[in-house]
Amino acid sequence: MQRDKFFKEIENLNHPNEKLIKTHCSYCGMQCGMNLRVNTQTNKIIGVEPRYDWPVTVGKMCPKGVTAYQQTNHKDRLLKPLIRDDASLKGTAEGFREASWEEAYDLIAKKFKELQNEYGKDSLSVFSGVSMTNEKCYLTGKFARVALGTRYIDYNGRFCMSSAAGGFLRSFGVDRGSTLPWTDIHETDCLFIAGSNTAECHPTSMFRIWNVQERGGYIIVVDPRETPIARRADLHLDLKPGTDLALANGIVNQLIEMGYIDEEFINKHTNGFEETKELVKEFTPDYTSMLTGVAPEKIIRAAEIYGKAPNAVVMFARGVEQQHKGVDNVSAYTNMALVTGKIGRPKAGVATFTGQGNGQGGREHGQKSDLLPGYRKITNPKHVEEVCSVWGITPEEMPQPGVSAYEMIELMEQKTIRGLYLLCSNPAVSAPNQNFVRKAFKTLDFMVCSDFYLSESAEFADVVLPAVTWSEDEGTVTNIEGRIIKINKAQEPVGESKPDWQIQVELAERLGKGKYFSHLKTARDVADEFRLATKGGYADYYGATWDKIDKQDGVFWPCKNENDEGTPHMFLDKKFYHPDGKAKICALPYRPPAEEPCEKYPLRLTTGRVVYHYLSGNQTRRIPFLHDMCPEPFVEIHPETASKYNMEHEEKVRLFTRRGEAIYKVKITEAIRKDTVFVPYHFGHEESINLLTIAALDPISRMPEFKACAAQLEKVELKKVQ
Amino acid sequence: MKKRLYLELENCIGCRSCLAACTQCGGHEERNRNYVYDVNPLVNRQTMPLMCLHCENPACARSCPAQAIQIHETGAVLSALVEKCIGCQNCTIACPYGIPKFDQEQNLMYKCDLCIDRTKDGIPPMCASVCPSNTLQWLTDEEIENKKKQFNLDNGKWVTSMPYLEGETNVKVNLPGILQGITKLF
Repeated sequence: MQRDKFFKEIENLNHPNEKLIKTHCSYCGMQCGMNLRVNTQTNKIIGVEPRYDWPVTVGKMCPKGVTAYQQTNHKDRLLKPLIRDDASLKGTAEGFREASWEEAYDLIAKKFKELQNEYGKDSLSVFSGVSMTNEKCYLTGKFARVALGTRYIDYNGRFCMSSAAGGFLRSFGVDRGSTLPWTDIHETDCLFIAGSNTAECHPTSMFRIWNVQERGGYIIVVDPRETPIARRADLHLDLKPGTDLALANGIVNQLIEMGYIDEEFINKHTNGFEETKELVKEFTPDYTSMLTGVAPEKIIRAAEIYGKAPNAVVMFARGVEQQHKGVDNVSAYTNMALVTGKIGRPKAGVATFTGQGNGQGGREHGQKSDLLPGYRKITNPKHVEEVCSVWGITPEEMPQPGVSAYEMIELMEQKTIRGLYLLCSNPAVSAPNQNFVRKAFKTLDFMVCSDFYLSESAEFADVVLPAVTWSEDEGTVTNIEGRIIKINKAQEPVGESKPDWQIQVELAERLGKGKYFSHLKTARDVADEFRLATKGGYADYYGATWDKIDKQDGVFWPCKNENDEGTPHMFLDKKFYHPDGKAKICALPYRPPAEEPCEKYPLRLTTGRVVYHYLSGNQTRRIPFLHDMCPEPFVEIHPETASKYNMEHEEKVRLFTRRGEAIYKVKITEAIRKDTVFVPYHFGHEESINLLTIAALDPISRMPEFKACAAQLEKVELKKVQ
Repeated sequence: MKKRLYLELENCIGCRSCLAACTQCGGHEERNRNYVYDVNPLVNRQTMPLMCLHCENPACARSCPAQAIQIHETGAVLSALVEKCIGCQNCTIACPYGIPKFDQEQNLMYKCDLCIDRTKDGIPPMCASVCPSNTLQWLTDEEIENKKKQFNLDNGKWVTSMPYLEGETNVKVNLPGILQGITKLF
């Protein structure tokens, strides 16, 4: 299926005494195909071999992918549950002792019951993540609502992709991250890529992206930094961080002015055009330039290229989404496709670069405070009834919607939430405004953390449970395209570690809820219940059986039944998911970032990734090759700015905002705006840039504004800072 | 059909996946054998790999007094034979591209062998297998000929392996500039 010109029949190298297990990478949404090499005598994973026959990535892997296998048998793996009796040591890695699963479960059950008896059901919370299988994500939602009966469950997608979800829901009535398969990308004529450092964050997209230019097509990149992809782009719109909405409005205005709109498409398939046309009129090239810092000619040229292109794809990522108007940014860039009708056909559409491995699937099936499996709403009585019938509870037993990830942390600080079960996430690095977040975690009466390494967040826990890595369990993941794929088990769990779904089943039994969970004895049992729970929802996975996934090289949702092959291209019938079948062109007034530069904090601070690390770095910082390539964070500064502050390359300087400060090495480069500084976010403790970032939340997605706040630099006046 | 390593330097994104993959080749003892350079790091993010070009008449082998550097029938210039290498480091000086690396502890030269345990059976080397940007590709001579035609400039500006390199090489290189020869679609 979808084997294109990049696909070559290549046989793998098979070493003696080894077998290859087909699977996918543990890291980002690309979910590159890979084979894990397993020694057949020790039954341990010992290496990686390209998976040439995976149609999306044809054997390609980034340095994270190549070394991903080194996580499994790493010396830092947690082998047994850990308990810390001395709560005064919270926030450090000290004081833990090894314990049996029995003791750990007993303690958790006792503490959870005590807290709920004293403070009510909602005194417990679940903070989860989407770097795990759909089956685990699904069961985590059920565990929170059925086993704990709490309304407070949310997940790290709020720090990642929730703005894309919000924007797509508003524009299309459905949230599938890409309206087309990745195998279309190199065949389009123009890629408009905003707020995505693609070469570093989704490297295995690059061979397709470069091919657009080799065919004579265009790449337009929107980024405050001249990233590797911006360097080679036909047009680089070097905007000020946090001004995307103005730029998108300005380009839509030009598309209208220059006559590139598709009136028939607009009339038949969309609402909201006239209102939007009226609103964007104000965004002339000069006015847009004034707001964004992008030259007016570039704005006009971008509209001209995108408008003229027979087929084009608008793509974006965290750069536009991690803002307190992230949802508006997504809808505003999506407007470009809707006013020109460049959507609902092959080689044209809109896509977000999914950040986390299962950023797509993980947000669809009930880890979000207001969602239930199949993208059902917990506020919709019919949806609740449908899910209750699968779970075997009554609608009255279904908890109310909770609050978003960062707001849960606020409730911890206020003592509304007193207990936390954290899994698959490291918010003590990844959440904004870390000084507050770490204080909130210390305030908790009881915290459980499940992870396979002792993360910075685990340092706040009373009990740490050893989870398995992705290679020691099986299940499905939904990749960047909306393609459901299969992760396969390559070795038995290390030490006494267990998959999170098993931990939840066993904990539920301890909490007296075994009748809702005890039938789930294997990952496949969870998968079967999960598919059933999505049936009839719009993210319908019912027909996506493991066999079909294997046979078809993945299945694109929606996939409603046994005979349904799935949906690689969305909206081919030009039917959108709003009740009237039309898409919404959104009129979105511009708002500046929540915190604009001022005299005291004159610089714009933005954050992001480097190619060698993934998310909070809890996994990648432990891999020797990746650590060697990027052992510490840095602050990227334009030479003119550095000169103003009298700072040298590699000098250690103090970067601070209204919320916090940190010391970083200066990295001088002309490839950044003069008014902007950049720091990668993969580092913990006192190196975390999130000590400085702002918790200004998007009103819809509740996504914090990681990508723009006001900062100041200062020389460090010590003789030598270590 | 014989395939060659082909480098399109314009594509490099500096991810160093090739170096990570190099450590994964069975015969490489988890040490990477090539290089990726930041071309002008204070100015922009241009990077380029520096891979062994597997010269037809390799200076490293010519300079070796112990005949430790063998040339495989596929044309791959192999890493030094452990039993022959005397650790003189002549090869590291002779190679115009600075490819051979030296292990002080083992007193042994090691270099790219083009993943000979793979390429002898027609399986692409690890670096070209994983390269996310198609900077490193594993192509037939016909495919490389097509690349030359596709990226040819009439104005003489276009460049390919010769004459910038020391001599004829098994690995073919396209220096940055391929996009200059492209006719835009619209």
